[in-house]
Amino acid sequence: MGQQKEWQGPGWLNECLAYASILGKISIEKVVKPGQQKAKFNHIPALRKDAMLEATDLSKVYDGGPPALDSLNLTIEPGEIFCLLGANGAGKTTTINLFLNFIEPSGGTAKVKGLDVTQAPLETKKYLAYIPEQVMLYRNLTGLENLEYFSALAGRRYERSALLPFFEQVGLTTEEAHKRISTYSKGMRQKVGIAIALAKKAEALLLDEPTSGLDPKASNEFSGLLRKMSSEGVAVFMATHDLFRAKETGTRVGIMKHGRLVDTMDTEGLQHTDLERIYLEHMHD
Amino acid sequence: MIKTIAYKEFLQMVRDGRVKWAAGIVFCLLLASLVVGLRHYQDLSAQHELAQNKVREQWLSQPEQNPHSGAHYGTYAFKPKTFLSSVDTGVEPYVGAAVWLEAHNQNQFQARPAEDATAVERFGQLTAAVVLQILLPLLSILVSFSVFAGEREDGTLRQLVSLGVKPSHLAAGKALGVAGALAMVLVPAVVMGVIALTLLTDLAEARADLGRMLLMGAFYLLYFGLFIGVSLAVSARARSSRLALVALLGFWIFNSLIAPRVVSDLSRVLFPGPSNFQFESDIKLALQYGVDGNTTYREVEKKRRAEVMAQYGVDNVRDLPVNFAGIRLQMNEDWGYEVFDKFYGDLYQNFRRQNRVQQISAVVAPLLAIRSLSMGLAGTDYYLHQDFAERAEMHRRLEIKIINDDITFNGAEAGREYVNGIDVWEKVPPFDYQMKPVSWILGNHQVSLLMLLLWFGFAGVLLCWATRKIEVV
Repeated sequence: MGQQKEWQGPGWLNECLAYASILGKISIEKVVKPGQQKAKFNHIPALRKDAMLEATDLSKVYDGGPPALDSLNLTIEPGEIFCLLGANGAGKTTTINLFLNFIEPSGGTAKVKGLDVTQAPLETKKYLAYIPEQVMLYRNLTGLENLEYFSALAGRRYERSALLPFFEQVGLTTEEAHKRISTYSKGMRQKVGIAIALAKKAEALLLDEPTSGLDPKASNEFSGLLRKMSSEGVAVFMATHDLFRAKETGTRVGIMKHGRLVDTMDTEGLQHTDLERIYLEHMHD
Repeated sequence: MIKTIAYKEFLQMVRDGRVKWAAGIVFCLLLASLVVGLRHYQDLSAQHELAQNKVREQWLSQPEQNPHSGAHYGTYAFKPKTFLSSVDTGVEPYVGAAVWLEAHNQNQFQARPAEDATAVERFGQLTAAVVLQILLPLLSILVSFSVFAGEREDGTLRQLVSLGVKPSHLAAGKALGVAGALAMVLVPAVVMGVIALTLLTDLAEARADLGRMLLMGAFYLLYFGLFIGVSLAVSARARSSRLALVALLGFWIFNSLIAPRVVSDLSRVLFPGPSNFQFESDIKLALQYGVDGNTTYREVEKKRRAEVMAQYGVDNVRDLPVNFAGIRLQMNEDWGYEVFDKFYGDLYQNFRRQNRVQQISAVVAPLLAIRSLSMGLAGTDYYLHQDFAERAEMHRRLEIKIINDDITFNGAEAGREYVNGIDVWEKVPPFDYQMKPVSWILGNHQVSLLMLLLWFGFAGVLLCWATRKIEVV
């Protein structure tokens, strides 16, 4: 992808562009280069297309503790797969929760397709599909009943027969679709999560360590599904610990530490070893 | 969307083995209590009809004798059984179903099943009302305590909320789903009740009872609705389903077990009534010395005798054109009426105050409201009992007046030797008590109705608030 171009011009121009961004023409993204404790410029504006997911100075502090998320500036465009790496407690899940409006931000804004999630919580959710580490479904309903239920609640009603192709797309058989969720493996449940996103016709996916605990084959299949969806214009935000999966799946990778996005990089041309090195450098800082 | 959520909740509950078992047990208990109640109603109605006819037959078949002997022979007034008493026996086991109407005395009610009850029965009878008022709310708690809290624990709530479902739709759908599961228990019971009603009662009675039955059904729906609302609201706010269950069971115990007993004692503390012994002793004393405690019957009789002689312009009762014995008997009755009106009036007034305390106390426990309304519509509440007692007393007074008038106006010549037969017995009409209209019943229970509506509204508002503020993380 890489449509976002970093701007590293003089300060006065940065200021102008920052003002221009307020008019909605340019997004602001904070970038901290590897090895830097703080960004050289706090706000480095970037030219962009229409953003699907956009965080502006997004912050979250729980009960007076240290910031769980500290002034995040991030833009994810349609068709982009942004993988967010970070240790436990780095703020990855908090970011997802803020985009889903599950929690209130302490500062800044989270926008979905230009809409502030706190101002239009129901409308913004229409564009989103959420896939957590373990897609939780109703155990005593079948996969098909679950998909029918969730897609109906998302405002997409289908005949049951019209839902079966979604199972097919994610690699589940018709027979499996008719089994109760209690008999499903984790990988199968994750696939149902994707099927829900497909049926919902979501324009952005928020994934919270979705491949954690999946075997390599299932993980690979899952990544394939994500890439397919992104090729159809779906924006993907995936929080993960899995550097390999992030490099393989993502178009862009970000590293988060103590609630701050400390680095972002395009995956094109990036080697696994480079990513690992950069990540570890940040973790050891 | 609401329909989709409701259907899914219903489907899940139907597939949940625990819900199936709990609903099955409650359904069996409801069915058993209804069958027992209907059998009881059938038996008592038949016995009531038989006894009423027998008593009338015995009254009419008295031999020729002094009519005052007939007044002492007396008769019985039987409180009619309503069909809905098979659902809710109310206060009937405690206040009795028949009263002996005789000269000189306003008797207390007899035939109180509670007096003949075994010690075990002190733990409560299994009636349909008990199942509906106590067990069904428990079932509604058991099926709904984890509706939100369980989903939060399972993680499905995040999934659900991430779809952008309106909280109000979520609340309404889930409430309807739980209601659907409860309907599986209730609908067959109601259908059975309507069929039994048409089979066991005549058309006119069935029509009257059907109206009360529908109203009773509506009130019970409000009661279940408020329980569903409160249960879902607690489930939505509680951090875990276990906490939700504990909180809801606490509410259920307070509502079903603690509040009725505490409020009953409270009403007695606030408005203490006399013991039965004290009550009868006080009446006996008042019959001797008057309501004011300073007048004797002899003085009153002397005054009245003078008035009667003046009225007829004679100097001696023997010269009266009427039988003074009849006048004196009526005089004695009138003296008693003043005493009975005072003491029974005070007693009824006290009971009504106690009832009012119970109705107002429904502000803390909705069971008290539905119990009061249910008894009222079943025709087994205190208010109807009092009305019946007053009608029976009016009938007794009419009966005695007819007899005393017969002695007064037909026994002048024969004096003490005066006898009469079927002519006078037939003049006394059979006692016929008509069930009161619904407006009268609701008038007596208006506080309970208000409390029930307030609780229902409160539960709705609570549910809206709890789901609007629902936390998924």
